[in-house]
Amino acid sequence: MMKMKNLLLGLTLSVFAAASLASSGLTGQAAPDFALKSSNGDNLRLSEYRGDVVMVNFWATWCGPCRQEMPLLDELYSRYERVGFRLLGVNIDDDSRKAMNMVSELGVSFPVLFDARKEVSKLYEVEAMPVTVLIDREGTIRYVHHGYKPGYEDKYLDQIRSLLRE
Amino acid sequence: MVTKRFLISFAASLVLAFGATTIAQEQAPTDADAESREQFRSLDEDVQDLKKEVLDLNRDLFLLEEELLFPANSQVAFFISMDVGEYFELDSVNLKIDGKEVSNYLYTEREVGALVRGGVHRLHMANLKTGDHELIAVFTGAGPHTRDYRRGATLMFKKGIGAKYLELEITDRVKKQQPEFVIKEWE
Repeated sequence: MMKMKNLLLGLTLSVFAAASLASSGLTGQAAPDFALKSSNGDNLRLSEYRGDVVMVNFWATWCGPCRQEMPLLDELYSRYERVGFRLLGVNIDDDSRKAMNMVSELGVSFPVLFDARKEVSKLYEVEAMPVTVLIDREGTIRYVHHGYKPGYEDKYLDQIRSLLRE
Repeated sequence: MVTKRFLISFAASLVLAFGATTIAQEQAPTDADAESREQFRSLDEDVQDLKKEVLDLNRDLFLLEEELLFPANSQVAFFISMDVGEYFELDSVNLKIDGKEVSNYLYTEREVGALVRGGVHRLHMANLKTGDHELIAVFTGAGPHTRDYRRGATLMFKKGIGAKYLELEITDRVKKQQPEFVIKEWE
């Protein structure tokens, strides 16, 4: 009986944990606008991508899962860029040179922005690494993913496709 | 014979009654359909009215918020404008009032394009007490020969009663082949 209780408790907790990983207080809200300097020197503003499906991926050079995830995100970006999918990688390192080195090492092609002042990370309540936010064509945050585990890319794929279809 | 006639008339009345019921049944859904369509239409109108009310409320709240947060008497607005922009490609503007950073705005290519075409950007709105204030604006971007360029402009201004508008203007100085940064007070 005790075992059964523990099992149920464990199950409930894991369901809550999974739910909190997939959702956030930001879901359903208008995506806070920001402008940041990008790796090619241009300033990019989120609101200028209104009408496209935008994925904002917060990452850091010291984060192992980010290193795993970024090439997979780049594949999604290359595949869906032509149909209105944008990917903005927001790096939160203090030193942007480290980020540039990692970008060239991984060979990713999506724009990387630098948030050295951590203002944008605060706006998006980034408390884990990586954090991936999906924004629909209307500029509303639809999905927020904290962390990365192998297989998340399949979820991203489904969500991107459904948002592109809207 | 009488019984036969009675049976026939009974059967006929049955048929009539049955027919009437069928007609009644056929008519009933038509009425219900019309009623539900009417209800649906009125629901749709209600939703539209509600939507309009929400929009009106949103507008009123926005105006109220502006009036409360930035009362006309203490309001100071800062604008950025650009003339030609041949010698300077704007990247960002950092604004300090009385030594305190109030805005650090990054301009995208599209925004710079809009400024070059004659647009004016409201960079910041603030509430300031009457009296003397210092404004420091630092412009960064690419100067002549696309070299990194950073220039500051300072203005001491007096805030009197009533709203104040300041324009930070970037112009080209053809003689010197350099950009020029001027802060103007709107009368």
